[in-house]
Amino acid sequence: MTVDMVIGASVLAATLRLAAPILLAALGGVISERAGVVNIALEGSMLVGAFVGIVAAEQTDSIVIGVAAAIIAGTLLAGIHAIAAIHWRSDQIVSGMALNILALGLTSYLNFQLYGTTGTPADVPDLPTVADQSILVWVSLALVPLTHLFLFGTVSGLRLRAVGEHPRAAETVGIGVRRVRYAAVLASGALAGLGGAYLSLSVAHSFTDGMTAGRGFIGLAAVIFGKWSPIGALVAALLFGYGNALSTSLQGATIGDTRVPVQLLGTLPYLLTILAVAGFVGRSRPPAADGVPYEKEGH
Amino acid sequence: MQWATGPAVPVISVIVALLLGAVFVAATGNDPIAAYAALARGAFGTPYDITETLVSAIPLVLTGLSVAVAFRTGLFNIGAEGQLLVGALAAGAVGARFAELPGPLLMPLVILAGILAGAGYGAIAGVLKAARGVNEVITTIMLNYIVVFVMHWLLQSGPMTAPSALGTPASARIGDGAILPVILPNELVPLSRLHAGILLAALAVAVFWFLLWRTSLGYELRAVGLGARAAAQAGIDPARRMALVMAIAGAFAGLAGMIQVSGVFQRVFDGFSSGYGFDAIAVALLGKNSPLGIVAAALLFGAFAHGGAIMQSNAGISSHLVSIIQALVLFVIAAEAIVRGIAGRSRRGRKPVEAIA
Repeated sequence: MTVDMVIGASVLAATLRLAAPILLAALGGVISERAGVVNIALEGSMLVGAFVGIVAAEQTDSIVIGVAAAIIAGTLLAGIHAIAAIHWRSDQIVSGMALNILALGLTSYLNFQLYGTTGTPADVPDLPTVADQSILVWVSLALVPLTHLFLFGTVSGLRLRAVGEHPRAAETVGIGVRRVRYAAVLASGALAGLGGAYLSLSVAHSFTDGMTAGRGFIGLAAVIFGKWSPIGALVAALLFGYGNALSTSLQGATIGDTRVPVQLLGTLPYLLTILAVAGFVGRSRPPAADGVPYEKEGH
Repeated sequence: MQWATGPAVPVISVIVALLLGAVFVAATGNDPIAAYAALARGAFGTPYDITETLVSAIPLVLTGLSVAVAFRTGLFNIGAEGQLLVGALAAGAVGARFAELPGPLLMPLVILAGILAGAGYGAIAGVLKAARGVNEVITTIMLNYIVVFVMHWLLQSGPMTAPSALGTPASARIGDGAILPVILPNELVPLSRLHAGILLAALAVAVFWFLLWRTSLGYELRAVGLGARAAAQAGIDPARRMALVMAIAGAFAGLAGMIQVSGVFQRVFDGFSSGYGFDAIAVALLGKNSPLGIVAAALLFGAFAHGGAIMQSNAGISSHLVSIIQALVLFVIAAEAIVRGIAGRSRRGRKPVEAIA
C-alpha cells in the first residue's frame, strides 16, 4: 500500500466523480424531507433518469435533450410518489419501495424491449467536461450553496421548512402545505433524475439493468448523516465517495501480508449513518413532521 | 385471521395490478393475453413447473412472516433481505465447517445457525429502536447494504472464499448432512428440486400463528402494534417488545436464508438472493399479515418468479414484467384508501400506517 493509493490525485478525482450522484440524490432528499415527505424512491428516480437519459440522447443525438429527459423522468416518478404520499396519504415507505421496484422493472423491461440482449448503443453523445470532470459534477457542487441559500435564506425555503416541522402551524399562517410538499417531492425527483443522467451519460456511457446499484439509498444515508442540511449532505457525499474511491484504488493492496479487505469499505456509508442516527456520532434528528401525512382540520 | 374475513382488498389489488400491467404490455406492442397465458403456463403448466413455483415460494413465505410479525407490533422491517443473507452466510459457514458431521447432528446446527444469525442481525435494529429511539426503517435499510458488502468480502477474498465451478464467488460446499433432501421421488416429478424446506416453512407458519394468537407474548406484541401508548398503560413495555420482535423477525428471515443454502444451492453464492426480503414486504401486506394470507401471497409471487422466467424464454416478453406487476400490487395496497373505495368498504378516519400495523 502506498500513500498515492490513499490520497493521490487520481483518488481525489475519483472521489469527486463518485460523490456527484450521491450528492444529487442527497440534495433531493434534503429538500423532500425538509418539507416532511420521506422519498426513498430517489433510487427509482435515478434509475429512470439514467435509462430515459440514454434513450433520449441516443434517439435525438442531443445530450441536452438527454439530460432534460432524464430530469423529467425522475420528476414524473417522484410525482407518483407525491400523489401517493400527499394526496392519498399512503405509507411513504411502502409507496417508495413500490416505485423503486417499478422503476427497476420498467427500465429493465424497456431495455430488453428496445435493445434486446445487445445493450444500449455505444454512439451516445458525451457530456462536456471541465477540468477533467463532467460538467454535472460541477453542477452538483454548485447546487449545494444554492440549495442552502434557498432553504435558509428565502421566504420559500422558510415556508418549506415550516411545512416539514409543523404543518398545522404553517397552514394556519396561510401556507399551502400540500402545494409546498408537492413542489419539494418533484424537485427531489428532478435532482435524482439528473444524478441518473450523470451515471448513464457521463460515467458509463450506457445503461445496464439496475445500474444505480443503491446510490439513491446512499444519498438517503448522506441526508441523514449530513443532518438534513445541504452542506452536511456535501460532506457526507464526499466522505462516501472517498470510501468508494479507496475501495477501487486499494484493490489488491496489502498491509504486511494481509490483503486490504476493500469490499468492507463499501459498508462505510451505512455504518456511519447508523452510528449517526443512534447518536454515537453527534445526534442526527429528522424534521419533526418528516414522513407524517398531513390532514387538514376536520377532514 | 384477518385474511379469512376480508380478502377483498388484496384480491382487488392484484386484479388492478394485472390490468395495469396488461395496459403496459399492450402499450409496448405486445399481446397481454399471450403474455399472461405464458406466465400462467410457465408457473403451473407441468408438475415440474408447479414444484418450481413452490421452491420459489418457500423463502417468500418465511421472509413474509418476518415482515408481518414486525408489522403486527407496529414496526416496519425492511431488513428481511439482510437478515436472510446473514442467515445464509451462517448456515453456509457452519454447514461447510462441520461438513463431516452426520445429518442428525449437522442439520439442527445449520438450522440453528441460520435462525440465530438472522435473529441477532434483526435485533440490532430492534435494540437501537428500543434503547435510542432510532427509526427501524433507516437502520434496516442500512443493515441490508452492510451485509451485502460483508458478503462480497467473505466470498471474494475473505475467510469463506472457495473456488466456484460457476465462476461466481461462493463459499465451500456444505456437508451432505446439511442438505435438505428433495421430497418428491424422481419417478413422480422428474428433476424436481422441491426440498424439505417446504416442511420447515409450514412449521414456521404454524409457529407464527401460535406465537401471535396463542401466547401471552403474542398478545402483548399485537397490543403494542395496535397502540404503543395504550399497551404501556396496560403494563407492557413497548420498547422491550419491539427489540424482541425484531429478533423474531430476523429469525424467520434467517431461516429463509438457511433454507436457500441447504435446500437449493448447497453453498452460498455472492448475490444469490433475488430480493426475497424486498418482495416480502408485498407478500406481508398482500397477505394482511395473517398466516394463510402470507402463504397465498407467497404462492402468487412464487408463481410470478418462476412463470416470469419461462414467459421470457417462451414468449419473448421480458421477465421484468412480473416486477412491474409486483410493484403495482404493492403500490395499490399502499393506496389502500382507493382500493377500499373500489371495494365499497371505506372506513373513514383510519390512517394507512395504522391499518398496516
